[in-house]
Amino acid sequence: MAVQGDVMEAAGPYDRAKALSAFRLGDLTFYWITRISAISVLLILGGIILSLIVGAWPAMKEYGFAFLWTQRWAPSADPPVLGALGPIYGTLITSIIAMLIAIPVGIGIAVFLTELCPQMLRRPIGIAIELLAGIPSIIYGMWGFFVLGPFLANTFQPFMIRIFEGVPVLGAVFAGPPSYLSLFNAALILAIMVLPFITAISVDVFKTVPPVLKEAAYGMGCTTWEVVRSVVIPYTRVGVIGGVMLALGRALGETMAVTFIIGNSFRISSSIFAPGTTISAAIASEFAESDGLHQSGLILLGLLLFVLTFFVLAGARLMLMRLEKKAGK
Amino acid sequence: MTELSVSTTAAGHIPQVPLPEAPPKVTVRNLNFYYGEHHALKNINLTLGTNRVTAFIGPSGCGKSTLLRIFNRMYDLYPGQRAVGQLMLDQTNILDPKLDLNLLRARVGMVFQKPTPFPMTIYENIAFGIRLYEKISKSEMDDRVEKALRGGALWNEVKDKLNASGLSLSGGQQQRLCIARTVAVRPEVILFDEPCSALDPISTAKVEELIQELSEDYTIAIVTHNMQQAARVSDKTAFMYLGELIEFDDTNKIFTSPSDRRTQDYITGRFG
Repeated sequence: MAVQGDVMEAAGPYDRAKALSAFRLGDLTFYWITRISAISVLLILGGIILSLIVGAWPAMKEYGFAFLWTQRWAPSADPPVLGALGPIYGTLITSIIAMLIAIPVGIGIAVFLTELCPQMLRRPIGIAIELLAGIPSIIYGMWGFFVLGPFLANTFQPFMIRIFEGVPVLGAVFAGPPSYLSLFNAALILAIMVLPFITAISVDVFKTVPPVLKEAAYGMGCTTWEVVRSVVIPYTRVGVIGGVMLALGRALGETMAVTFIIGNSFRISSSIFAPGTTISAAIASEFAESDGLHQSGLILLGLLLFVLTFFVLAGARLMLMRLEKKAGK
Repeated sequence: MTELSVSTTAAGHIPQVPLPEAPPKVTVRNLNFYYGEHHALKNINLTLGTNRVTAFIGPSGCGKSTLLRIFNRMYDLYPGQRAVGQLMLDQTNILDPKLDLNLLRARVGMVFQKPTPFPMTIYENIAFGIRLYEKISKSEMDDRVEKALRGGALWNEVKDKLNASGLSLSGGQQQRLCIARTVAVRPEVILFDEPCSALDPISTAKVEELIQELSEDYTIAIVTHNMQQAARVSDKTAFMYLGELIEFDDTNKIFTSPSDRRTQDYITGRFG
């Protein structure tokens, strides 16, 4: 920059015009490279949606909207009967339970790390959280299968059944024969998997709260809890919700670990300790051996997951707008 | 030379007859403060008179903000900082490790250098602090919020947009909101840490006027880099230098006939 500046100063207005025209080509190239990059995202997204719709078309024509609320999944029947209710239910239930666990724990860890933790512990815990994010999902699947599953089936579920036996709704939620493979097992694994996202992003945004703002709240006589609840989290809510959405996106779409431990049953049971399936697990476990209408049905499932994720993200946006309105923006 | 003439102009605002000695509200005896190994305050002795304004002046890094942050134990938030000595608020020992800090900070409010509205509505910014200590009905709360905003000389500007975000106000309004918020919890002492350094002259004038009004009901300590401001708003002035209290006297005397050479040099702009 300095060199160009010197040249221009020395050479006067005529050369300045020449220099500018040389820049113009560079500017134009730069403009088009960035624009093409941005447009390519739209093209790729559109292409994916289009190919999903084309692939899913035969199934859509065959089953129509009944696909959404049919529970039976019998691809080898003649003609095959396909319904997405089981996978949709499993996807939603596992994600909801996972988020119910991961959001408070994840934000709690972030609060501890930024507000309460002694300096000495901060790094080890921070690194452990990052490592958690780096573990491949198949490892989580194996751990869920060999360690968590037996524990849940042999210890945790009997305990819950004993507590809630006879209680109207909750009794049914925890009932059923013990199984290593269950919706709850998958939800727990999902919770552990998405925890680092929520924590890492929350820690980052909590650090952006100006110290003087926290001091002001402490100066009013707030306790740490009141400072976190009334100042830190409201100040950072956009970032925290972003982290939660990222985590939810991952939970909805996570495939490998879930396929391992969810049991791949298309039947819907009231119990969260029963085997189930999710959209991605169903696709992963059946796609290789599918053809014809069955394959088209699986692609339609994929399209549904896409739509589901879209609605979840749209819902998050809406919630954010409501929150901002409430805070008076 | 210009500085000298300014300080004499400032002196014109001071009542020529100093106010009578007020009973002490805060008493500081042999106070020392350490940032880790660094000895930041050395043997400070002074008193803040009840319902008087005490100004702290001195060059950057002299320890005046540090001293202010001891009055409400703000330094407690940070490990490695400690105060030694005696610091009494009426009969309460502020440095008592067993003291309930939340209650102390309800008695000793603080306004910061930068406006610090909380991320909520204007109404909530005030109600939030009140709710920490009192459970009152909605209509009582409305009254208290209005009273606090009037106290902060802000009511007329915000009464039609109490549900707007506190962050939507201008810098000067935000600072008065913070003052109103501090007043709302009915403290006994209010600490101002360079409250006007981020404000334009008109907002500064409003805040200074407000400080004078508040001194009828509250004991006030103000740290400022602006000597005219100290001269305008305070009854007593403390000049600090390199962690020591050099001179502490009636504002009038400090700005007209300081007894220490260093005070003289500082207020005439020879250093700092």
